[in-house]
Amino acid sequence: MSEKVLSLKNIKKEYPGVVALKDVSLDIYAGEVHALLGENGAGKSTLIKIIAGAIQPSAGSIVFSDGVVHQSMTPQKAKEYGVEVIYQEFNLVGCLSVAENICFGEKHGKFVNRRYMKKVAREAFDLFGVDIDPSAAVYELPASKQQIVEISKAIFRNVKILIMDEPSAALSVAEVEKMFQVIRKLKERGVAIIYITHRMDELFEISDKVTVMRDGEYITTVQTKETNRQELVNYMVGRELKETFPVRPQPSDEVVLKVKDLSGNGFRDISFELRKGEILGVAGLVGAGRTEMARAIYGADKKHAGRVYVNGRLANTSSPAKSIRNGIGMIPEDRKQHGCLLTRSILTNISLSSLKQISKLGFINKKKERELAQAYKDELMIKAPNLEQLVGNLSGGNQQKVVIAKTLAANCNVIIFDEPTRGIDVGAKQEIYKLMAKIVSEGNAILMITSEMEELIGMSDRILVLHEGKSQGILEKHEFSQSRILEMASGISIEKQGA
Amino acid sequence: MKSRLNLKSFNYDKFIREYAMLLIFIVIVIFFGLMNPKFLSWMNISNIIVQNSYILVVAVGISFVMMSGSLDLSVGQQISVIGVLTAVMMTVYEMPVWLAMAIGILAGIAMGFFNGGVAVRLKIEPLVVTIATSIVFKGVSNIISGGMSYNNFPASFRYITTGKILGLPVDVWIAIVSVLIASIIYNFTYFGRYIKAMGGNIEATRLAGVNVNALRIATFCISGFFVAIASFIYISKLATMNSSYGPGIEMTAMTAAILGGISFNSGEGKMWGLVVGVFTLAIIENGMQLAEWNQYIQYVVKGLILILAIGFDIHQRSQRAKKLS
Repeated sequence: MSEKVLSLKNIKKEYPGVVALKDVSLDIYAGEVHALLGENGAGKSTLIKIIAGAIQPSAGSIVFSDGVVHQSMTPQKAKEYGVEVIYQEFNLVGCLSVAENICFGEKHGKFVNRRYMKKVAREAFDLFGVDIDPSAAVYELPASKQQIVEISKAIFRNVKILIMDEPSAALSVAEVEKMFQVIRKLKERGVAIIYITHRMDELFEISDKVTVMRDGEYITTVQTKETNRQELVNYMVGRELKETFPVRPQPSDEVVLKVKDLSGNGFRDISFELRKGEILGVAGLVGAGRTEMARAIYGADKKHAGRVYVNGRLANTSSPAKSIRNGIGMIPEDRKQHGCLLTRSILTNISLSSLKQISKLGFINKKKERELAQAYKDELMIKAPNLEQLVGNLSGGNQQKVVIAKTLAANCNVIIFDEPTRGIDVGAKQEIYKLMAKIVSEGNAILMITSEMEELIGMSDRILVLHEGKSQGILEKHEFSQSRILEMASGISIEKQGA
Repeated sequence: MKSRLNLKSFNYDKFIREYAMLLIFIVIVIFFGLMNPKFLSWMNISNIIVQNSYILVVAVGISFVMMSGSLDLSVGQQISVIGVLTAVMMTVYEMPVWLAMAIGILAGIAMGFFNGGVAVRLKIEPLVVTIATSIVFKGVSNIISGGMSYNNFPASFRYITTGKILGLPVDVWIAIVSVLIASIIYNFTYFGRYIKAMGGNIEATRLAGVNVNALRIATFCISGFFVAIASFIYISKLATMNSSYGPGIEMTAMTAAILGGISFNSGEGKMWGLVVGVFTLAIIENGMQLAEWNQYIQYVVKGLILILAIGFDIHQRSQRAKKLS
């Protein structure tokens, strides 16, 4: 058969406190499209970064076609072996021409040789049968053509192993078809392709083999022809739920937040109701538009259409300031950049959203401020010697508690949690869960976006599933199952209905 | 309890960071004092203070823009506009001094509003806006002045720099009050807290429910207000005004503010630091004058000081960022 071009043996990657990859072995053959499938956080990205030399494995070996065993790669060495990666965000210089981008970083003679570069570009485009003007500036091209420029760049560098990370994310259906043609041409040339995706339908159309990963573990590799969607979903979710979650009373029927036909960048026509005492989970894969939706509700980003009602009344939530006035708060996904002021004290952080309420004639009542912050520090059990401690010096879990305290201090009764436990260690996670349970038991409501299946199923009363910016429906508690959620998040149920 | 904790957590790094400028200030005073005995004379010291009262007021104004995370390079031209406007009002139109000054203050606030408004509305980096508006203001100033110089200001206006209250010149009182007002805003009001938060992390501050756009405009308006006050001291001291006076002051004030630990990138700084910064720069300038250094060499030195001050500020912040992440 075809030649083995890459062999990963027992690759392991550990970060302090986290195992990103455990014992992954994988063989890649020339002229083959090998799909990597897995949920968010399955370890796909870590694996390709190791192949490309961007990060070093903690253990294991990497063997290319020359048989030399490497303990680790560097970006330069990987390039010498013909490894090229096309990331979701293209790595092109927008203001330079197509031809200049393709030949970027390569010298041909002492001066810039435009004619040579154009020739290289034309040859590549002829190969794919596409018509792109080599002297056009890259930013003028649509995403699909930019991608072809990326691929041409890889070919110019004599690619042997092409890694494509969610290559279809930015493309339309017609453009994806064009990309497949290009991939097939590359196969004919004997290029091995590692294709990372969470879109099932694409995988069946283009791949020869599928490797499924879950929680950093290698699960299995199957021939695409011999498998089906259901089997793959089962491989992806066959996980036992280990965490325990606080038991909570039934939420009431009183609707506190109603979102109607909301559209914005990355999502459209989303409607749902959030009830008093409820945690509504929001599920979806990368690019499903969950964070975008949350930010639009909160007024951090613009809404294109739709309405938000708070306690039955139409509410203006066009800016975070207005949302907070309406009792809506948000714990952002990026805690360090958006959640807190790292260089400021716990005191300053907790009171930031409620300063006006504790001020008279513009002057902060410092005694009240301190009491407020101290009360939340005690209640949320924020571990720090005093209120003067800089938030940047706290652990992730305690930082998150400070952000929650800030939102609670501002009297928000609808709180949007975007990835509530990202980057937080196991013990602190439990504390955050208990805190969330307590918050809703006191008559508040939570909209929780999470990529962690356990958290989603364990904490939610209902789950809203998004797929590519659209609602796939809301699951009631008795309908929760990993495979059901994943199917909906992958858009499978919709296709069945359409067929 | 509290003091014990502080004692425990005393660290050398932090002390240096907080008081580095004060130490440098003392070293410089000793250095120039040894170089030239005249330097430490009461005459010279009071001269330095009086000569820099308006710089201090400008620095207080500009500190609001810097604390919120930006810079205002149009301040010098703002002084030029306010100066000639007030002068023309007083001398050509013979308006009462209070009215001319009120118009000057309004002009300052209006120019600040324009700077901040354009930056917010067109989403342009405020620093870039002020580069452009300083050209606009230069034009405006010359239109108002018609290329003429104005003098013979009313005695009541000159009182700002000739008069004394409790033995201190009026302009020094104005500078002291300006510093006090700014300290109160920064330390005791939510408005001041917001400005510093915004300078630290504008997106996190916005997401915490602060209207950062309104705040941006407000900081420029406040800067305009203090710049107007400083302009009055400036032209009262000069006793004459034309459109070429003003530009350059923004650099002196900014260098002084940065020297004093007012960061334009992290929302940090203290008003006593600002005072130390202004007088450190003033002393260096004065020392160079007493040593009879060539004016152009003085420029070179001042420019290098600005680079050092910014470099020091950035170095400290990157050190801290490293520690926090």
